[in-house]
Amino acid sequence: MPEYIVKESALTEFFKSLATGRRLLTPQGAGDKCKLEETGPDKVRFDYSNTHMSPKQLFFPQNENLMSFHNDASKSDPFVYKDLGDKANPAVIFGIRPCDAKGLSISNRVFQNDRFVDPYWKGKFDKTIKVGLACASPSPQCFCAAMGGSPYGEAGLDVLAFRVGSDLGLKTITPAGEELIKQTAASQADLAGELKNQEAAAVKSQGVGTDLKPIDDKDLMVLFQDPHWTATAENCLNCGVCTFFCPTCHCFDIQDEQSEKGGIRMRNWDTCMSWLFTVHGTGHNPRPSKTERVRQRFMHKLKYIPLKQDGTRGCTGCGRCVVMCPVNIDIREVALKMCQPQAPSQA
Amino acid sequence: MSDFEPKIVAFFCNWCTYGAADLAGVSRLDYPPNFRVVRLPCTGRLNPKFIMEAFKRGADGVWISGCHPGDCHYIAGNYHARRKFVLMHQLLESIGVEPNRLRFSWISSAEANKFQAMARDVVENVKACGPNTTFRKEDLKLGLAEVA
Amino acid sequence: MPALSDITSKIRESAKKLLADGRAEVVIGYRQGTVPLTTSPFFARSAADCDQLVWSNFSRINLANYLPGRPGKVALVAKGCDARSAIGQVTENQILKDNLYIIGVPCTGMIDTNLVVAKETRPIKEVVESTDDAITVKGEGFSTDIKKTDVLRRNCQTCANRTPKLADELIGAETPGAAPDDFSDIKALLAKTPAERMAYFKDLIKDCLRCYACRNACPLCYCPICFVDETRPQWLGKSNDPMDTLTFHLLRGLHCSGRCTSCGACETACPVNIKVREFNRVTELTVQNNWNYEAGLNWDQKPPLTMFQTDDPADFIK
Repeated sequence: MPEYIVKESALTEFFKSLATGRRLLTPQGAGDKCKLEETGPDKVRFDYSNTHMSPKQLFFPQNENLMSFHNDASKSDPFVYKDLGDKANPAVIFGIRPCDAKGLSISNRVFQNDRFVDPYWKGKFDKTIKVGLACASPSPQCFCAAMGGSPYGEAGLDVLAFRVGSDLGLKTITPAGEELIKQTAASQADLAGELKNQEAAAVKSQGVGTDLKPIDDKDLMVLFQDPHWTATAENCLNCGVCTFFCPTCHCFDIQDEQSEKGGIRMRNWDTCMSWLFTVHGTGHNPRPSKTERVRQRFMHKLKYIPLKQDGTRGCTGCGRCVVMCPVNIDIREVALKMCQPQAPSQA
Repeated sequence: MSDFEPKIVAFFCNWCTYGAADLAGVSRLDYPPNFRVVRLPCTGRLNPKFIMEAFKRGADGVWISGCHPGDCHYIAGNYHARRKFVLMHQLLESIGVEPNRLRFSWISSAEANKFQAMARDVVENVKACGPNTTFRKEDLKLGLAEVA
Repeated sequence: MPALSDITSKIRESAKKLLADGRAEVVIGYRQGTVPLTTSPFFARSAADCDQLVWSNFSRINLANYLPGRPGKVALVAKGCDARSAIGQVTENQILKDNLYIIGVPCTGMIDTNLVVAKETRPIKEVVESTDDAITVKGEGFSTDIKKTDVLRRNCQTCANRTPKLADELIGAETPGAAPDDFSDIKALLAKTPAERMAYFKDLIKDCLRCYACRNACPLCYCPICFVDETRPQWLGKSNDPMDTLTFHLLRGLHCSGRCTSCGACETACPVNIKVREFNRVTELTVQNNWNYEAGLNWDQKPPLTMFQTDDPADFIK
């Protein structure tokens, strides 16, 4: 697909045309608390390394009402759950970073696949055109290249935007993206070479990541039973920060709430770091200590998701968990431990 | 506001205030019927969660009453409770619950008249505060109109 | 100002000796973080491990959090507040005094990363810290010196007990405490109307994600099952309903009353920068006013809610 360019002077006009007939969400907010929000097309922020939280909450909100009932016997269908369905409007998001877009594409395979389609996710996800913004100077916390991505990665995006001086270059990736850009005044330009050079420089600035192939090669049970997990989990607090900030964590909990007039079935983010996540009705908990819970998170990211999604790692290298973790548990260090040849058995 | 009838959750100790309420009843002392009583074995049993839950679910006031200090059936239950009450009272007042919504009293099982006076006072004061709109869980947004 | 490297080498030396003498099976300390502006709790079990221990201006997380229920002999690298928490845990029977060895480090306060990032908004790639009163942050084409007093955590600014005086040993000379918290902002708040106070506290927690990092980072929160996780009955809804969230913070404040040492671990752990300690400060003010008690200042004082006086003041109870 071709590349386009928008001159700096035409940027506001460009964003206005993106917003025609759709909601436009762009990076907003001060300092390091950047978030993707609906606002005027003249207030788009470019000087952010990444949004504070991952964009997954736009498609998979922390609390989402799925269905509800009323208990008014004088009206029809009292006490009958009604699907609240999909009320999403068409939208375009500008400024998703490639790591987060890749994260969305991983979650999308969880919520929409040949066995199951989640209507709540689908409604929002399929109606949204995702315009990414490439990272010319990745932040020190980032390691997308080490996880098989790129600061200029295209996975999960319809259009990839990148800065060319103070102008904005655009590379369309999907037909939907192509159609969107054609509606704007962006002019076609040959930027393939420029894009390639920028990407090479950005990847180089991240340094060489560790080769994680040993994890792919190792048997699942070998990784699972490796004795390092006790030490790896020792300083974990079992809070849920890593999972709430992770662009690919997608576990949820279904809850019913009632009030005087009726009730709601909602789903809320849940976290595998919590004791409550796995406790059974009997009181038995298959993940009784933090060792099992920490192992679950890293095995899920680095082994289970790759097994289920043709080798794509469940970590996209956005670095949020590394920085946000109150005790600095670093997934890169854990991955290194998982790569180590197994210690000879004690038996 | 004058026709506002508050809902008040009352936590009474089994050994004293609950008896006082009984005595007030059999003595035909009338008092306003705005409170629902939860009987506790001792005010020491009162968990702060109970107060929060009552307010959260829409109570306009909470009234806690137990034995006079020194008269606890379990020797020291209400002494321990008293320290907790200080904290709960201070904390809830500090975060903006009107002081008259959360009331504490000591009423022995013989003090039917004190019970009557206190019940009237509690209800009157909560009435003056008006309905509890800030320290309660909002009604669920069922969203059924949109999908009907 | 003592060099951090001196403190670090003394901690290592002491840790090695404790392990060699069998005085401790594990030394809980800090090691260098993998990203700038942080450290990571570290469990040293061998002399080689001990060489990873460091002391830094970012040794923030309260390591006493790892003590409750821990079997065996343990040594703890502790600031003033951490040592107080550990002592509190001894008085609450969470760990045996005989099993605990406190390596006290006289502290000059720890740095709030958010304040550093607010001062130097460019991406920080490296932090250089040689003494305990200043740091230098470096990145692409810049190097900025920052005085520690400008970026101290809120709780450190009002810490009167920086030296862990009851520790088994002290690394270096005692440090003077700061002027204690006068609660002037809380008192000013209490002078406002109930509606204003409610608005203040609701606004304070509006970003809360209910990740419970504050609870889990807290050395006082060692209940096997927290009230927020109870299901029979379920006290709190699981959504981000403002009232459910407020109830969590209120009850957390109550549970910590008379036990909080203002270590600031909760605020350090919070990923959305909520001043969660405001709730604790309200209860601490009440505890100090009514029972003149501060946690962790000696080995045998009983927490205020486990005891009573027959003449405790409570004029509001009629």
